[in-house]
Amino acid sequence: MIEKYSILSPDFERDAPRELMLLSIISQSFFQPFSLEDNLLVILTALTSGSGVGFNRAMLFLKQGDRLKGEMWLGPRSAEEAGLIWEVLSTPGIGYVEIVEHNRALVSKNEDTLSSRLKGLVYAAEDECALIPAYAACRKEILLVRQASSEPLVDRRFLNVIGVEEFLCIPLLARDDVVGEIILDNAITRTPISPADIKLAGICGLMAGNYIYSATLHRKLLDVEKMAVMGEMAMFVTHQIRNPIVAIGGFTDQLLKPDVPEEKKLRNLTIIRDEIQRLEDIIYQMGHFLKVSLKEPVYFDPGPSIASVIGSPEVQTKARGYALNVKLEPCLPEILCDPTSFGEIVRNLLDNAFDATPAGGTVSIRGYRKNSTAFVLSVRDTGRGMTNPDKDQLFRPFFTTKEKGMGLGLPFIKRVMDTCGGKIEVQSRVGKGALFKLIFFSREKELTP
Amino acid sequence: MKKKILLVEDEKALCLLYEEELSREGYDITAVTDAEAALAKLEKTAFDLIITDIRMPGKNGIELITQIMGLRKDIPIIINSAYQSYKEDFMTWAADAYVVKSSSLDELKAKIKQLLGE
Repeated sequence: MIEKYSILSPDFERDAPRELMLLSIISQSFFQPFSLEDNLLVILTALTSGSGVGFNRAMLFLKQGDRLKGEMWLGPRSAEEAGLIWEVLSTPGIGYVEIVEHNRALVSKNEDTLSSRLKGLVYAAEDECALIPAYAACRKEILLVRQASSEPLVDRRFLNVIGVEEFLCIPLLARDDVVGEIILDNAITRTPISPADIKLAGICGLMAGNYIYSATLHRKLLDVEKMAVMGEMAMFVTHQIRNPIVAIGGFTDQLLKPDVPEEKKLRNLTIIRDEIQRLEDIIYQMGHFLKVSLKEPVYFDPGPSIASVIGSPEVQTKARGYALNVKLEPCLPEILCDPTSFGEIVRNLLDNAFDATPAGGTVSIRGYRKNSTAFVLSVRDTGRGMTNPDKDQLFRPFFTTKEKGMGLGLPFIKRVMDTCGGKIEVQSRVGKGALFKLIFFSREKELTP
Repeated sequence: MKKKILLVEDEKALCLLYEEELSREGYDITAVTDAEAALAKLEKTAFDLIITDIRMPGKNGIELITQIMGLRKDIPIIINSAYQSYKEDFMTWAADAYVVKSSSLDELKAKIKQLLGE
């Protein structure tokens, strides 16, 4: 018999020892589709929530170039607020996504308080005479500071911001580099920091450091990819724009010659108008692809979005002469994606399916649960299918097999899916149509009584 | 006797423009929109010159040139592409001339005349 377990559990086991719970939360940040800031806040939450190590507050400094800069903090402002936060975080069934949502609300509320003062704190990251807190990062040592106001090594500006006598400095290390530092305290409960807390916080520091390091590397990689895409785009634009311009110029020259018959004038003007229209399309699509900034993913019901795209006049017009099958499970779960982009994804997939299929063919769209945390949206066509080399290039910007295509639809879909942590699967054989499956994170809707 | 030119160009509007403009110069133009069709025409007709685009659906212009060279037909070839950068691809050096597409066809016409020894 074989039993399967998910590597990423959707919620955190209440009965697990707090150490395990804390490590589980932090290790998940490596896999979550949220921004670096959101994931860092979850790490801070893990360190401060009642279910984690249980410090009251956590502050994060990040290394930027040769500076160590105050970035964010998390924690209650008063004992009442602390009670409220811990109550929320101890709710059974709370998972990573709920913590992210909770943090976003908390940060927007706290923007006026410690954050702005913390962001004003900047230290040299490598300084022999560094004061605390930078001292810990420079020496790569965990420091427990007690009676801070009588300790000359503590920077006074920092002490004014933090306002407590006892705090813990954890340098964040990745390989042999310092990537930041976390400061932890018990400003509300005034509980002394224990050796066990220090050990556990140290392990969290190592994990958080490695997460920041890998996230930064990933971001750099994306930048490199972006540059490569820009190069390819410049090539593509040259070709796409030069062809219509040559046609416009050539047919205009013909018009400028004497004694052009009326019939030819009309034909040339029609070609010129069509080519200008093509230039406009190219400019619109390029601008759209470059400008579209993707929003953070949220959970929402995909049903209305799918229905509205299928019912739209554009899709209905395209569907004429085809059989369009729609099969959605009743009571769809909520999926994690940016709702606006999701609508565009569905439209794009249907567009491609119709374009690849000769009239009289069938296009099917299905929505179903893969399991309790994954939802699949699939679009199948009975069109010409793809060769393997074409399949490999599908998601490269500007690759297209369509006569009039720009090759930006599927790269857009990939960008959206990357942003929300989803997956794309493609199955196709020449002459046998194609099947595109998009797999989203999902959760069941809360039933309202 | 009119000189015969084979034109390989996937853009229909450009095909029409070149066909008209080069016919006016006194050439007999056969226009096709992909490499396969070009190879089929080459089997049946003896052309005096070939003008080909590079980026086309299916086989590209460079693959076409390679195949034509394999046929050992000694026909001058002009590459006519929207891309300047293909000039750096040494395979394009096998062609007799490289003309970047432009709304004025003067350079193309001059190269044709030169290669046909007119």
